Amino acid sequence: MTALDDWLKQATRHLAKDSVARVRTEIQEHFESTRDAAVADGATPDAADKFALNALGNAKVANCQYRRVLLTAAEGRMLRSGNWEAHAVCSRPWLKWIIAGALVVGLCAASALFFTGRAEVGRDVLGVAIGVSPLTAALFLRFRTPARGRVFRVAKWLAMTIAVALVFGPELLKWSWLLISCLWPLAWTESTRASIRRKLPAAAWPRQLYL
Amino acid sequence: MNLKGTLPTLILEALIREPSHGYRIAQRIKERSEGVLDFREGTLYPALHRLENEGMIESFDGPSSRDAENGRTRRYYRITESGRGMLTRDRGEWRAHSRAVTMILEEV
Repeated sequence: MTALDDWLKQATRHLAKDSVARVRTEIQEHFESTRDAAVADGATPDAADKFALNALGNAKVANCQYRRVLLTAAEGRMLRSGNWEAHAVCSRPWLKWIIAGALVVGLCAASALFFTGRAEVGRDVLGVAIGVSPLTAALFLRFRTPARGRVFRVAKWLAMTIAVALVFGPELLKWSWLLISCLWPLAWTESTRASIRRKLPAAAWPRQLYL
Repeated sequence: MNLKGTLPTLILEALIREPSHGYRIAQRIKERSEGVLDFREGTLYPALHRLENEGMIESFDGPSSRDAENGRTRRYYRITESGRGMLTRDRGEWRAHSRAVTMILEEV
């Protein structure tokens, strides 16, 4: 393994495959250009190699900067798994109608429970229905601009907050440990998607990035 | 000299006349500053990718003079309209900043 390979290995650590390929190509070309220029200036091949590698700087610093602007391996995996989820739902049109049906049934059941005086259970059912509503909206609405996506995300978190408040009511603090352990994967997914949005131009966003 | 924060502006300036690849951009910055602005070239590409993500520049595959015979290509970058706008703003800010610092330093 050459010194340049070592440098590239460190600089591309934890990056997605496509990002690694792009960095390798660019840095290799850059390295060769610098080395050729040094040889043309009279340096020996070994000295030219060292000079070209030194000009690239610290691989760890480059890696930190690359991870801020290029997709990491975890983000690449999330994009792929997101595509799988979208494909699973979109290829089964009946599935989205079942989810929509469940929402309607939930809202009707909540109304019936309120009218029959069983407000406690009605509140819980309403909470679950509101919690499911962003998922239903995501299946039926079209989001093709970043601004619409932002509006949807605000509405989604608002709906989830209302749902949690309705279901747990005054006991919200008591059950906070359960909520935190259930919601952290969601929060992690949201922050990873935000990071992907910063790194990909809007024209290249898959559907799940708008949600 | 530390280039922190000014590298994106210098990259846009280097691309204002014609599209270019990373190595040439680095050389242009060093030559035009007569070697005063020196930086680690490994940090140039993350800055290029960030500018591309922000829509200030765009990349395309162009001919590589070294590999002209075997048909290999090289990644070139060109400035976009948004990039030109950003460069104009940055130039104005830099002139104002530089004038203010010069005024203070010349008082002594």
